[in-house]
Amino acid sequence: MTAFWVLAPFMVLAALGLVLARKAVHAALCLAVVMISLAVLYAAQGAPFLFAVQIVVYTGAIMMLFLFVLMLVGVESAESLAESIPGQRIGAVVVALVFGALGVVGVAQSVTGAVVGVDAANEGGNVEGLAALMFGPYVLAFEATAALLITAVLGAMVLAHRERLGRRLTQREVAEGRLQDYAHHGTHPGQLPTPGVFARHNAVDTPALLPDGSVVETSVPAPLRARDQVRPGDRSEVDAVARELEPGEDPR
Amino acid sequence: MGEYAPILVLGAIAAGFAIFSVAIAPLTGPRRYNRAKLDRYESGIQPTPVPEGGGRIPVKYFFTAMMFIVFDIEIVFLYPFAVAFDALSWFAVLAVLLFLVNITVAYAYEWRRGGMAWD
Amino acid sequence: MNEIPAPVLEWDLIAPLMVLGAVAVVGVLLEAFVPRGPRFVVQASVAIGGVVAALGTTIWTATRTDVLDGDVLARGQVAAEGALSVDGPSLFTWGLLLVLALLSMLLFAERRLGGGLSAFTGRAADAPGSSGEAEATRHRLEHTEVFPLALFALLGMMLFAASTDLLMMFVALEVLSLPLYVLCGLARRRRLLSQEAALKYFLLGAFSSAFFLYGVALVYGYAGGFGLAEVADAVASRTQERPLLLAGVALLAVGLLFKVGAVPFHSWTPDVYQGAPTPVTAFMAAGTKAAAVVALARVLLVAFGGAEWDWQPAFWAVAALTMLVGAVGSIAQGDVKRMLAYSSIAHAGFILVGVVGATGGDGITSVSSALFYLTAYGVATIGAFAVVMLVRDASGESTDLDTWTGLGRRAPWLAGAFALFMLSFAGIPLTAGFIGKWGVFSAAWAGGLWPLVVLGVLVSAVAAFFYVRVVLTMFFDEPRPDGPLLAVPGAMTTVVVTVAAVATVALGVMPGPVLDLAQQAGAFVR
Repeated sequence: MTAFWVLAPFMVLAALGLVLARKAVHAALCLAVVMISLAVLYAAQGAPFLFAVQIVVYTGAIMMLFLFVLMLVGVESAESLAESIPGQRIGAVVVALVFGALGVVGVAQSVTGAVVGVDAANEGGNVEGLAALMFGPYVLAFEATAALLITAVLGAMVLAHRERLGRRLTQREVAEGRLQDYAHHGTHPGQLPTPGVFARHNAVDTPALLPDGSVVETSVPAPLRARDQVRPGDRSEVDAVARELEPGEDPR
Repeated sequence: MGEYAPILVLGAIAAGFAIFSVAIAPLTGPRRYNRAKLDRYESGIQPTPVPEGGGRIPVKYFFTAMMFIVFDIEIVFLYPFAVAFDALSWFAVLAVLLFLVNITVAYAYEWRRGGMAWD
Repeated sequence: MNEIPAPVLEWDLIAPLMVLGAVAVVGVLLEAFVPRGPRFVVQASVAIGGVVAALGTTIWTATRTDVLDGDVLARGQVAAEGALSVDGPSLFTWGLLLVLALLSMLLFAERRLGGGLSAFTGRAADAPGSSGEAEATRHRLEHTEVFPLALFALLGMMLFAASTDLLMMFVALEVLSLPLYVLCGLARRRRLLSQEAALKYFLLGAFSSAFFLYGVALVYGYAGGFGLAEVADAVASRTQERPLLLAGVALLAVGLLFKVGAVPFHSWTPDVYQGAPTPVTAFMAAGTKAAAVVALARVLLVAFGGAEWDWQPAFWAVAALTMLVGAVGSIAQGDVKRMLAYSSIAHAGFILVGVVGATGGDGITSVSSALFYLTAYGVATIGAFAVVMLVRDASGESTDLDTWTGLGRRAPWLAGAFALFMLSFAGIPLTAGFIGKWGVFSAAWAGGLWPLVVLGVLVSAVAAFFYVRVVLTMFFDEPRPDGPLLAVPGAMTTVVVTVAAVATVALGVMPGPVLDLAQQAGAFVR
């Protein structure tokens, strides 16, 4: 019981943090705290297998996936809290409370006596007992999970993999192609001009300037141009940054 | 309890070292901040807000993640098998073998279709 | 350490599952090693061959089961150490699922309708409308993974219908659901709708699985075991801790009723049926419903049969609501696929009326009436969706109900088949639907549920009015000048429509053999 009373307050706090945190990363970290505490509780209750699975699968894999997704979506992105159905949030809270109360009352009414059966199940070892079940009555379910895992891989590949249609070009072919283009269309065979370099943004989104001060559009990568992320990079911005760096001094 | 003492000592040393390293840096290092230095550096591209609805993000990592999860689940099943190996019959060995073969089939598919190539 | 003995598996009884699983894994291997050119034909042939082989094995297995001694008719036995019950209802459902899957596989394999390409997108990872999508179409890509995925879903359905252990049932539920989530998102046309359908189905399905699992946990807490027989013993012998049992039953029912598509867990049905590729919709509508109804009946009648006074009132309400919402909802639809989706909700209600009637004995039982209804409904559903695949315009299937006006003038045979399926849905005599409705209503009547039967008949009348109206506009209104083109039906779709139409009439005119088969299946074996 000691483990429970030590860990339970932490878990409740972390669970509250998970729901209330404004930033997704904080919520994820709170979730990690809940999961690890849960694992320790499993161990304390005489379930070493569940402990291992909780650490390996949930804290290891699932948490990592959460963080992976967060990094991709952007740590800073906040979710939109606009309700698409009016009153949905209040309705959800009410229903959740009623459901929770029902569950607590139902289970509390039932589980009044001491919990029995754990010792019998753990006789001869917890993990060994599981093995006896897994390779006994549940061997068919065990094999069926293989079908589940195959489906997971198939589904991931089907939904997310873009199959390459042609062969990958070798460096030689690329070089030859460029010279062909030069011969027939006059396209410059070399690299595109590099982007501008600039004290604050040594950045690919700042275009290079020609000697006359005009902007070389092609010096910024095409995806950035398409996304309208090109910075003007003109003189006034240099001044602004210079003022920030050395306040009080006239840059010129 | 006595046999765990070295582990506890090692843990204490590790924790102490980690805390020391983090705590000593701001005390000893020089501090000359300006705004440009404090600004984020994200591959040189100015950070832009994520478009409404999240936009499209590459999910290439998805296969790696899925492989990882599948291996993870595999370990979960192999763990009791390994622990109880001595008590198990040949049937269990065959059952695990069938399970592994099935999962290998999924990997063969992913490998042949270029799911493991990162380009 | 004690020796752990090897489990006893009755290989002859689980052979159909083994065959199907092996063929599905071989399908994945083919996907890996067969070059792109012949892949589609190879995959389609292997899938169809596999289903036929499994069907043959099922018939062989059925001949090896014995009739049990007892008060009620039952055959078969519990197999695989109590994981599965290979009994009459299981075997009937396996046969039914395999026949429905065979028809669906023919629709999956149809390539004549979309300019030589199947109904599945070429490369699902491309954004809809992107240059990559156009490139994939130019290279004539097709996702042939749909065949092994469908076979895995079929395997899950068969396991689900036969599970007699709650844990096995949960694994089967996932094996059946996961491939369907993926399949729903692979339509070649209207891809955004399809992807939305897949996401909705996945989120809601995962949610319902969680309910199911929580229910399993509570029932385990009550009974101390996962086997349905153990649960039944606990229900009969324990009188304390009733709330735990009732909460468990309720949560299990949520998970099962979601898959059945019953109100109030039906809201995914119209969107998913509309968005999914039509062959997948046909497969899902017919197969999932059959598997889920049998699983639901097994859980209710075997495990909780001793507590039927506790759960029956809730199920009466669910059945009544499901019939009403399904029938009224289908009237308001302007899209053929959505209309069929609401119609499938209504049918779920009719089947539930039969199931919660909970009658045994020598006459029409709940189980046999539900089995016959599922047969009639499944065949007509696949036929109706096959017709939907054929009515097309430049952008794919033309599912707007208005464009179907006057279809009977332009394609009498096709419209005639569709009208036949509609009449069967409506339960008009001389179609399979009439016998099905008569079966479930008489089972419920025998169980003393006359208010539900009265309501059911009234709702059927309302629905029939609507179905007949659709038939009338197809035949007696002028075709619209901008009406849909009719695709030249490929051999596969023609076969499916023909078989479905013939079966619908045959089951209506001479229901005897199949009705006998459903009767002979007998009760669940625990």
